[in-house]
Amino acid sequence: MLSVVVGLVMVLLFGYTSDQKAIGIAKDQLKAHLLAVRLYRDQLHVVMGSYGRVLRGTGRYLKLAFKPLLYVIIPITLLIVQLDHYLGLTAIQANAPFLLTVRVNDPRVLDDVSVGLPPQIAASAPPVHIAAENQVVWRLVANRHGDYEITVNAAGQSATKTVRVSSELAWLSQERWRDHFWERVFSSAESALPANSPLESISVDYPERNIALGIAGYEMNWIWLFFILSMIAGFIFKELLGIKV
Amino acid sequence: MVACSFWLYKKRTRRSGADRASFGLVSARSRSAAIFLLWAFVLFPSAAHAYAGPGAGFAVLSSFWAIFVAFLYSFYALMTWPFRQLFRFLRRRNAYGKATFERAVVLGFDGMDPDLAQRFMKEGLLPNLAKLRDKGTFTKLRTTFPPISPVAWSTFMTGVNPGKHNIYDFLACDRNHYLPFLSSAEIKGPKRHIKIGKYSIPFGKTEIKAMRKGTPFWHWLGKAGIFSSVIRVPVTFPPEKFQGVLLSGMCVPDLKGSQGTFCLCTTRSSNDKFREGGVRVPVERKNGICHSYVPGPDSPLAAKAGHELRVEYEIRPDPTVNQARLTVGSEKFTLKLGEYSEWIPIEFKAGLGFNAHGICRFYLKEVSPEVEVYVTPVNIDPGHPDLPISHPVTYSIYLAKLYGAFATLGLAEDTWALNEHVLDDEAFLAQAYGNHQDREKMLFDALDKTKQGLCTCVFDTTDRVQHMFWRYLEEDHPAAREVPKERRPNVIQDLYQRMDKLIGRVMEKIDDDTLLMVISDHGFKSFARCLNLNAWLHQNGYLALKDGKTESGDWFEDVDWSRTRAYTMGLNGLYLNLKGREKQGTVEPAEAEALKEEIKQKLDGLVDPDSGAIGITGVFITGNVYRGPYTDNAPDLLVGYGAGYRASWDSVMGKVTAKVFEDNVKAWSGDHCIDPRLVPGVLFSSHKFIEEKPAIVDVAPTILKLFGLSLPSHFDGKPWNLAPHSAPAKVAAVTPAT
Repeated sequence: MLSVVVGLVMVLLFGYTSDQKAIGIAKDQLKAHLLAVRLYRDQLHVVMGSYGRVLRGTGRYLKLAFKPLLYVIIPITLLIVQLDHYLGLTAIQANAPFLLTVRVNDPRVLDDVSVGLPPQIAASAPPVHIAAENQVVWRLVANRHGDYEITVNAAGQSATKTVRVSSELAWLSQERWRDHFWERVFSSAESALPANSPLESISVDYPERNIALGIAGYEMNWIWLFFILSMIAGFIFKELLGIKV
Repeated sequence: MVACSFWLYKKRTRRSGADRASFGLVSARSRSAAIFLLWAFVLFPSAAHAYAGPGAGFAVLSSFWAIFVAFLYSFYALMTWPFRQLFRFLRRRNAYGKATFERAVVLGFDGMDPDLAQRFMKEGLLPNLAKLRDKGTFTKLRTTFPPISPVAWSTFMTGVNPGKHNIYDFLACDRNHYLPFLSSAEIKGPKRHIKIGKYSIPFGKTEIKAMRKGTPFWHWLGKAGIFSSVIRVPVTFPPEKFQGVLLSGMCVPDLKGSQGTFCLCTTRSSNDKFREGGVRVPVERKNGICHSYVPGPDSPLAAKAGHELRVEYEIRPDPTVNQARLTVGSEKFTLKLGEYSEWIPIEFKAGLGFNAHGICRFYLKEVSPEVEVYVTPVNIDPGHPDLPISHPVTYSIYLAKLYGAFATLGLAEDTWALNEHVLDDEAFLAQAYGNHQDREKMLFDALDKTKQGLCTCVFDTTDRVQHMFWRYLEEDHPAAREVPKERRPNVIQDLYQRMDKLIGRVMEKIDDDTLLMVISDHGFKSFARCLNLNAWLHQNGYLALKDGKTESGDWFEDVDWSRTRAYTMGLNGLYLNLKGREKQGTVEPAEAEALKEEIKQKLDGLVDPDSGAIGITGVFITGNVYRGPYTDNAPDLLVGYGAGYRASWDSVMGKVTAKVFEDNVKAWSGDHCIDPRLVPGVLFSSHKFIEEKPAIVDVAPTILKLFGLSLPSHFDGKPWNLAPHSAPAKVAAVTPAT
């Protein structure tokens, strides 16, 4: 349903922000050059000339499409990022091990990093220090569904990271970042770590989520399904609304 | 597209921490870096991960699809080209091996008159045609009997007389009903229908039968492996298969199936009907908003004929700025007073998925106090042709995609609308030259694409403009008496100069290995006086009206066939009411020849009593001028009117009037449907031909000969010879002059 709505909204947005007449002409000319290749296929100079015109026409078409793409790109990127928090990852399963990775900005702090776990979560192995990458990795297991806060202490400061243990669809944030604006926009649904924190990031390795297609056991990432459905919807709506894309 | 960024981001955020750190370089930088990235995502999407979302995504996908398809086509063409060339070589040897020229370009300027061309060249107004005259050939070109475009162009393309190609006029006569039908093509709807409730659903295809017989010479060229581009040559509808591309010309119908029915949408109430060529449609005005409709074809689903499909549209006039906003389907546009719209696509919906696609142009005539909009005949949409108007079908689509929609109707310049004063001179010329410009684009595209072979294109503008503006060439033409001499524009001189400039641009595109021929199918003369031949037949006892009648209606209404021995319809043909042929024939076949001779004797030299001029300079018995299997379909006699005369408007439509002669006061003031000896066409060529009396029937054999092909034995025309010094350099080098 969301794919269909997105298809409609994006087509409308494209229609209102683009030069429909110019796009129509550019597309028509592309088709004309393709037809020329067919009509004059015995005349090599026409075939090669038309191929060149198709390339030039494609460039012109993309140029015309760029402005509406700019309008469309921001909302759809943000939308997909948000959807991916919900649909792209699977929550941690009860009694299944997962990794908590803490990355620090100063290697000298590595030995000083520790975690405070809620009673429902326990470490299943000692932490592993990867000095080359300024990382400490814990292998943890949760024994009950729920949302938990893991406290990470380093150099006298502490920060928390939410861990969601559930068998249901859930809103998930894989990483918590200090600074790194674009990373936070794209991959984090949590507030930033304090600017003076020795911690660079805290992440939980939620497994990727695939949607079962029910056909011979095939699975598909949600974005492909979203892609297919929204494209189909877009094609239908562009025809119905007479919008040239 | 947007999602491509998402996928990239996603890929990165799930990598190792080191990668994450490196991705972080964007974060603290400027916004411009982000914009740069957006650009990059748009222009260089990762093929595997590019989710190009709806709307935006189509743009990227379809453009890459276009490149992909073009690449495939090109690859296929490149890979198979040597094999195809080899195949051709083995099958036909080298197609151009014996050709004198690599390419022949034949431009048809319909109706260009040799006397006017001579006069304007003498005045220095046609420098490019004068160059052709000086370097190559300029002479009169004998036309056909009768000198009517569909007849002459059919002869041009087939190289035979009308007795072999079966075209004698625009209209032919249905001898069973004494009614006309289109001579060039017959269009029949599907034979089978299934009735379901109010619907009658057709099954099967529309059948379009070509009535013109004979084989166009580009078919012979094609068989020899020589490619042709043929644009708007008359009587090429329906298009036939051959090796080349063809866009049909004169005789292509409009969407209503007529040869052009314009529409005047008006708030003025009137019961007057246009004599021909147009309909009046009411405009309903409510609260300042007007509604009207464009009439279309009959519904294919209606159980009975006459259920007309319509496309409604809205007009919002704004008298303060002399313009109106029109909404036609999804198209919205503003028209200023005296301005044409572009071609607007319209779709007539019959239901159950049966739609007809057309295009038309709107012209705003008046916004206050009344509202009037002229709508051109609804042309078949070249980008979505419901009937085949080109070969291959994709050729018209190709042209429409390349240059936009264009007029497809055979007689695309709306002469009827000017005749009926629906359009004024300027509006008509704007329409005619708009079509002309489209035609020029097609010609130059064909010249670019056809470096070898035949490229031929017929321009109708010369014919239509001379028909409608001859009145300004003469001091005292009845159709121009109300226009002071100083206000008469030089329309025809301007026309010839435009054509000359076109020739100049074509000459820039060709070299010595290209033969350029400029021909016309006939010349032109004044049409100042109308001659109603049916009235003459009536007054001379050959045609009888029912008792008490002194005139008939159209198409012989109130004619008493039982006492009628001869009648006429169309422009030059005269028919005997022959027993066994006509449904109510009275003339015994044995008496036919004598009767023909008798009528010929009486009509030949017929004098106009008002002016003392000769109205008819020659009457020809068709059996004497035609040879071929279709001669029986011809009229029995052809009437050659004198200069200044033509069949009257009523006579053409089978109407008997009280007067034989009358003034022609219509804008249609020049004509050529007269004695063919008075209206030869022109022949210009870039290379000199040695021929004393060239005729249009000779063009086909000449072209075939120049391409080194042997001539079919049924040809009536004779090929012209090139002057020895006029052959292209490569030929002159190997062919000693004799």
